[in-house]
Amino acid sequence: MKPTYAKLLPIGIMTRLLQVLAAAVLLPAAFAQENPTPPPPTVESDVSARSKALELAGAFSNDGYKIRDGYWPGEIEPNRAQFLEVNLFAGNEYWFSAAVTAPGRKIAVSVFNENGNPVDYQTYEDGQAAAAGLVAEVSGRYFVKMSLLEGDKSQFCLLYSYK
Amino acid sequence: MTPDQMKQVVRIESITIPMPGEFFAAINKQGRPNWKQLVRTGTPEATASRSQIALILGTLVADGYIAVEAQDSQGVKNIGKEIINLAKKLNVSQSVLGRGNSINDFADNNDWNALREELEATQNEVKLDMFEQKDSNLVTLVTLGAWMRGTEIASGLIERSYTPESARLLRQPAIIEYLLEQIGTLPQGMQEDPLISKLRVALEKSRDFVKAETPSTENVKDLHETMSSIVTAIATGA
Repeated sequence: MKPTYAKLLPIGIMTRLLQVLAAAVLLPAAFAQENPTPPPPTVESDVSARSKALELAGAFSNDGYKIRDGYWPGEIEPNRAQFLEVNLFAGNEYWFSAAVTAPGRKIAVSVFNENGNPVDYQTYEDGQAAAAGLVAEVSGRYFVKMSLLEGDKSQFCLLYSYK
Repeated sequence: MTPDQMKQVVRIESITIPMPGEFFAAINKQGRPNWKQLVRTGTPEATASRSQIALILGTLVADGYIAVEAQDSQGVKNIGKEIINLAKKLNVSQSVLGRGNSINDFADNNDWNALREELEATQNEVKLDMFEQKDSNLVTLVTLGAWMRGTEIASGLIERSYTPESARLLRQPAIIEYLLEQIGTLPQGMQEDPLISKLRVALEKSRDFVKAETPSTENVKDLHETMSSIVTAIATGA
């Protein structure tokens, strides 16, 4: 499934975007629990990456996906992928949406099971934004990988939606 | 993934730990329960313990999701009011209090998807306030309260009409490990609080019930008993 960009962002998503701007840097830093903890990004680049990721996720919400309020901001560089642990429920459908700011040009998102083996997932890639979608086959821990395929060290934001 | 990559994995509580709404979405796919019967009514018992208030607040967030699943707009409004009342006791900022109005507006319009998002946003804003007020220990307790109440409800539903497919939804050992680690980081004094000690014991017991790929009927029953008992302890402080 590909997101539809012709549709406008739902009002709820736009409202939420405005509401979270002020907390864009503080909240994730507050809940980051483990390494690696990148240096805090600038507010502008963090918000820009988050806006792009939300825009992509907003397209999925047109298909009934609900966007989690939490998100993962940070810094990514070529040849140094970032990994995030998530816990999913069997039968639920998920999209992990990510975006980078310039000088990042192209990213990819992929998903692995708790043993670190790749799972079946759909992809959406559009330069600075990308997403991976799957139906969780078993409940439990999964890992989301974000790679910078083209461009230089840049700020990223990843979030997810489910239905 | 290489062993080195496995070591680099990041955990961020606001993403790594699922919200009750995700759990309930998965349960609905197994056959929609009668959510209306599960809506909790009544006002939480008054307490001066900030730890207990944070835990109760977490359980109320889960209750909010139950009321949303039940499409009970008055129930959501009541729970939203209780959440804001408890948040006031923890001296949260004015911006969080404004969330109560949003919850009411969305409930009046029966905008259930927006309410799901608003409940999580309210919880995260309360947590952010706690963090800014150097009350970050309470953040973990809100998460714990929400997860335990959500798991109590989910395990109860699965116990009533057990199927291997539904039981597999309960397989969440990594979440329990994470929550236990977080309890382990609380200040010693807080860890010695009888209620927090009970929570830790309940989580340690529950870890065994959710390890198998398909938890057995006994596992589900034991998990539900353990969670019911701890949610009651959170509500009463006993």
